[in-house]
Amino acid sequence: MSAFVEYIPGNSIFHRLNPITKILWTFSVMIVCFLTENPLAVLSVFIVNLVIAATGNIIRQMYPILRGLLVFCTILSLCQVFFIKEGTVVLYALPWFRLGPVTDRGIRLCVLISLRMLSTASTVPILLMTTPMSDIITAMTEKLRLPYKYSLMLTIALKFIPSFIDEMNQVMQAQMSRGYNSDTKNPFRKFLIIIPLAIPLLITSIQKSRLLAISMEVRGFGSGKRSCYKDCSMGNADYIAIIIMASFVLAGIAAALIT
Amino acid sequence: MIEIHDLTFTYSGSGSPALENINLRVAGGEFVGISGPAGAGKTTLALCINGVIPHFMDGSFHGTVIVDGYDTASAGCKELACSVGSVFQDPESQIVFSTVEEEIAFGLENLNIPRKEMVSRIDESLKMVGISHLKRCSTSHLSGGQKQRVAIASAIALKPKVLILDEPTSELDPQGSMEVFKTLENLNSNHNITVVVIEQKIQLLSEFCQRLVIMDKGKIMMDGPVKSILSNREVLNFLGIDSFPVAKLMHLIRDKGLYDGEFPVNIDEAFDIISYILKPKILH
Ligand SMILES: Nc1ncnc2c1ncn2[C@@H]1O[C@H](COP(=O)(O)OP(=O)(O)O)[C@@H](O)[C@H]1O
Ligand SMILES: [Mg+2]
Repeated sequence: MSAFVEYIPGNSIFHRLNPITKILWTFSVMIVCFLTENPLAVLSVFIVNLVIAATGNIIRQMYPILRGLLVFCTILSLCQVFFIKEGTVVLYALPWFRLGPVTDRGIRLCVLISLRMLSTASTVPILLMTTPMSDIITAMTEKLRLPYKYSLMLTIALKFIPSFIDEMNQVMQAQMSRGYNSDTKNPFRKFLIIIPLAIPLLITSIQKSRLLAISMEVRGFGSGKRSCYKDCSMGNADYIAIIIMASFVLAGIAAALIT
Repeated sequence: MIEIHDLTFTYSGSGSPALENINLRVAGGEFVGISGPAGAGKTTLALCINGVIPHFMDGSFHGTVIVDGYDTASAGCKELACSVGSVFQDPESQIVFSTVEEEIAFGLENLNIPRKEMVSRIDESLKMVGISHLKRCSTSHLSGGQKQRVAIASAIALKPKVLILDEPTSELDPQGSMEVFKTLENLNSNHNITVVVIEQKIQLLSEFCQRLVIMDKGKIMMDGPVKSILSNREVLNFLGIDSFPVAKLMHLIRDKGLYDGEFPVNIDEAFDIISYILKPKILH
């Protein structure tokens, strides 16, 4: 499942922060980036993200994500830059005919938007690569009062979706080796072809979920108050991080109010 | 430890009873094997012993099942979870969490055990099944035998008196099956846990169990010491004698009138008997 952003074990400061702190971090980055109009400020937020990724030893895994974001931002900017007429014209797309004017305001705005995109969109993969999913779920249950039933549902879904996809692929390959044709570009036809394969899969997964329910019941699930094995208390590093983030957010709000 | 009186159970929507007039007593510390053809009602019996029937399944339930002093029909889930541990056939669909320690913690969390005690119970049960080194491992990367041992560890973390396993080795290779049965033997003899295991592989049952129960069509067909049951030719034919070469060989030797002493249940015993038969011939 290489398409998924996966947890990469590590022991950096960022790895060890409480999941709640890290979730707050993604929100603070978002707030700060959208409050400030200054590209340099947003750039420094992005650099801080990169530093966090570097100390967490996940730069290599972040690289394809960053490259994708960069390509996306470039295309977006190229589409947008010609439509901003304010400011002084600094260059033309086709200088010989004086066509496609590009203004200094236009460039500044596109750079700002791209940087905002890079900074805010890179936090989520950093969060997911430095925090096991189960820790995020536990922290949400313990600290944000998400009912345990829902967090357990999330856990089970996350566990069974990959195995469901694996089984789907196995069934597909088995049928293809017997000459079942599922090779079509037409999405509607593809859907019709998949249905007869999906039904046996659905039945086995219902059977599996019954077994899972039984195996949870015999271990006392639903017998009243629960305790929690994972320690998800906040440490000093968490409080320091939250204070730092809060001051940046406040500074951003103050700056936005003044201008 | 387990007392079943006149148990009859019919699944709702099904015409004939899955279990009919079952009477069974298992004393504390026994290691009992249950075998029989598919559809005999073995799984249903296991679900009656661990209280899933009648608590979580619909059907008509008659008779009494008493486990560790609790009547399963009236006891709470908490008491049942603490007195019977259960392990099922498919290791895949009974493991929920992504790491071994979380998986074992799940039952303890459900029973509201404080964190400190949880940590020591997790370590203890991992040690009892011999997988302490896997504590922090991801559950998806384990072998079948290891997964079943994780399932056993999460059952015994609740300190049950009885462990019931429904075909725990049916998806495992011979090595994994052996691992599971050695673990059960250790729990039974060193930790005084009563073990009831449903199993198709007679070879394994003959080596590890003291007592064998054979079921067919919702009834108990035979119940007794392993040796006496396996020395019965008809029972063996019924169970599929080809799955058990030692017994097949010994029955052939008996038919030729070469031997009529005690019945061997494993290769070593059979070897002793065969060398005893051959010795006089070699000397002459
Ligand atoms: N959930 C169910 N609903 C209805 N009938 C069932 C159910 N589970 C099993 N049965 C029926 O009960 C009988 C005994 O099944 P089971 O206990 O699973 O046997 P075994 O484990 O020995 O193969 C079978 O005839 C089976 O069809
Ligand atoms: Mg069965």
